[in-house]
Amino acid sequence: MKREISHSNVAFAAAAIAIGITSAALGWLREPRELRLDPPVASGLDGLRLMPNGISGTPPESYFALGKPYETDAYNLSQGKRLYAWFGCPACHGDGRGGAGPSFLDGWWLYGPEIVSIVASIRDGRPHGMPPFRDRMTIEQIWQLAGYVQTIGAYTPKVAAPGRDDDKQTRPAENRGPAKILFDQGPVGVHPDQGPSP
Amino acid sequence: MTRSKDGELRDTALSDRELKRALAVTWSAPPGLWGALSTVDHKVIGRRYVATAFVFLALGGVLSMLMRLQLAQPEARFIGPDRYNQIFTMHGSNMMFLFAVPVMQAMAIYFVPLMVGTRNIAFPRLNAFSYWIYLAGGLLLWIAFVVDTGPDVGWFAYVPLSGPQYGAGKRADVWAQMITFTEVSALAIAVEIVVTVFKQRAPGMSLDRLPLFVWSMVVTSFLVIMAMPAIMIASTSLILDRLVGTHFFNPAEGGDALLWQHLFWFFGHPEVYIIFLPAVGMVSTIVATFTGRPVFGYLATVMALIATGILAFGLWVHHMFVAGLPRLGESFFTASSMAIAVPAGLQIFCWLATIWAGRPVFKTPFLFVIGFMVIFVIGGLTGVMVASVPFDTQVHDTYFVVAHFHYVLVGGAVFPLLGAIYYWFPKLTGRTMSEPFGRWVFGLIFVGFNLTFFPMHILGLQGMPRRIYTYQPEMPWSGLNMFISLSAIILAAGFLLFFIDAIRSARSGAVATANPWGASTLEWATASPPPPYNFARLPVVDSREPLWTEPAELRVAAGLGVDRRELLITSVAEAVPEARESSVGNSIWPLLAALATTVALVWSIFSPWAVVWGSIPVAVSLIGWFWPKGVPEDES
Ligand code: HEM
Ligand SMILES: [Cu+2]
Repeated sequence: MKREISHSNVAFAAAAIAIGITSAALGWLREPRELRLDPPVASGLDGLRLMPNGISGTPPESYFALGKPYETDAYNLSQGKRLYAWFGCPACHGDGRGGAGPSFLDGWWLYGPEIVSIVASIRDGRPHGMPPFRDRMTIEQIWQLAGYVQTIGAYTPKVAAPGRDDDKQTRPAENRGPAKILFDQGPVGVHPDQGPSP
Repeated sequence: MTRSKDGELRDTALSDRELKRALAVTWSAPPGLWGALSTVDHKVIGRRYVATAFVFLALGGVLSMLMRLQLAQPEARFIGPDRYNQIFTMHGSNMMFLFAVPVMQAMAIYFVPLMVGTRNIAFPRLNAFSYWIYLAGGLLLWIAFVVDTGPDVGWFAYVPLSGPQYGAGKRADVWAQMITFTEVSALAIAVEIVVTVFKQRAPGMSLDRLPLFVWSMVVTSFLVIMAMPAIMIASTSLILDRLVGTHFFNPAEGGDALLWQHLFWFFGHPEVYIIFLPAVGMVSTIVATFTGRPVFGYLATVMALIATGILAFGLWVHHMFVAGLPRLGESFFTASSMAIAVPAGLQIFCWLATIWAGRPVFKTPFLFVIGFMVIFVIGGLTGVMVASVPFDTQVHDTYFVVAHFHYVLVGGAVFPLLGAIYYWFPKLTGRTMSEPFGRWVFGLIFVGFNLTFFPMHILGLQGMPRRIYTYQPEMPWSGLNMFISLSAIILAAGFLLFFIDAIRSARSGAVATANPWGASTLEWATASPPPPYNFARLPVVDSREPLWTEPAELRVAAGLGVDRRELLITSVAEAVPEARESSVGNSIWPLLAALATTVALVWSIFSPWAVVWGSIPVAVSLIGWFWPKGVPEDES
């Protein structure tokens, strides 16, 4: 009788230790949430290199060093969503469906879906009315915003995408996608085949 | 050995030795790991539950020491704000949902069947399932914390902070789903306890002979059954809001943020009584044993338990006094909050009268009861203070409240619990904990507790808010905070000593007899620890203190079968025997069902489709669980 008990005790202890070690390892591997970047790391984010036509390119080294957080990290995406509202993006791009500016929701990217292109569009502006935001927000915020904007038009929703706002609902939330098949977007903003091309 | 006409083997045909051997064969679990995973013995599961809950207590204690380390000095850099948010949320959620509620129910799993004189809890497989689900919920919370996804929204997770707009990532979902796990397991136990107590009592144990601990667990179980659905609705709605964009808590679309607070506290206030009432039962038990006389005012005490249970549902709004309520609401809930002090006070006076009239023996369990009375009364007094709206408006969300609820939670639940562990340790393990150690444990915890938490009242009155990760040196708080952090070391040392004593005693403590304290209730009528079948012959009682009125020999019921697991069903009020009933055998299916449920619930944090696909394995495991196996237990 005694032997049996100690037998199963050993099994339980082993299971507990295994779980402990696994979770410690996971915890060590996982990047913690960064509320404020180191200034040198942040300024490194500015060093992205674009193709000559301004479409696509290579992200800066520091972006990889950080573990590519801006496309997949829930905190940064939700910060991006907040910045989207605070910096007046809806004035031209609406709730993502576009207006004076192009739609993001339809997944049609004038400059390609890569995050560097989106960062460049926000930072440096684009022809036909997209203003540069370089002097209005930090480069870290621009990356957060770019990650969010990319999320709006993702073909499959990201696991980390934000949920709905506590606000009037005008379209399915970012984590419910692809938005295209979930609701009727109505008339969307300019497309290259409809209006001015870059 | 002679078999009866229908070929069944009954206990009447066996001598004591033969009977015990036959019962052991019928009731034991197979040896080894398989037996450990498939057992449905309420004692094994109960012990496991208690041990796990104490592991969570220790983990939550580590978190509290981390917080105290950070707060010891102004502007400390030890823990950042984001981590601190997770730590206090983890500490609170862990202590409430993974320690306090489960540990009380776990004690009931172990002791209620013994105290009512039956052989296993009702629905033994559900009981096993409950443990695995609870364990899974605890692992979910802690693994999430280790990977920096621990909830950071406070233990009551108010929307909109925890809602889709502000609660980034999966942190709040982990909290909400942990709730689902713990509530499922708690509800399962509550149902088992109610049925065990109402239908499986020893013949003759009419309701007015029920031990007070059992009464308290019945009332608690009803509270669980009525309170937990509210939080399950709340947490499920929260997940739906976050995952699929429903609008339960979105005012712009006709939802209501205040609805969350109502739903949460409709559960949350009864929750504190779900923790406190079992403790009251433990106190009554210990007081009776260590004064050598029945608790004064049995009827009054039972009525007080029931009254507390009913009133508990009429107070929840006192947590929302600063949310902007109508005047009438505020007055009503102030009055009801103060009214609940009446049954609590009544019980205190009953215990005092018992001690007064008896000959108290100041052993460790009794010391903890004395500590409970002192600390709980202080907590009750500050409770009446914060029940008044103008006062609460001043101290809401300050350290005054932190001090108040630790006085009632630690004083009202942890002290009786530690006393109960010292008291029932012989029955749990067959060995006794050390008395000299116990006195040190009590002394350190009592002194450490008061030195740690009393100054928090003052900090609160000086305006220190709760849930802050640091404070500026200009604030007049640093001296007291350093004092509190140092005192917390005394408190932690007390707990450490307790754990050392418990582990050491479980291995090599003095071997205990069946009834080492000379107590009156039925759990002491069998060996320490009890055999798998609890009682070789089921006891028959004709008084409230069976072991005091008939110390020599208990009368027993005869005629039960021993070929299959068999116990007695008795009537609800008078406990007149009604039927011989089979009790299910060991099964691995509860574990498999719990695994399937865990997969579905964790997956549903990430995708709503988990509910569809995840329910298939759950259904399969339930079919396996209920599939007739052709064993004797299957026939009724
Ligand atoms: C071991 C001794 C304990 C110490 C030193 C301790 C200390 C603390 C501290 C420092 C806080 C955080 C205050 C803040 O930052 O706002 C806290 C919060 C809390 N504690 Fe404890 N605690 C202990 C035991 C317990 C126990 C046994 C329970 C419950 C049974 C408990 C329940 C809570 C709750 C519910 C909160 C609120 C969490 C929140 O704000 O969301 N604590 N405790
Ligand atoms: Cu309350």
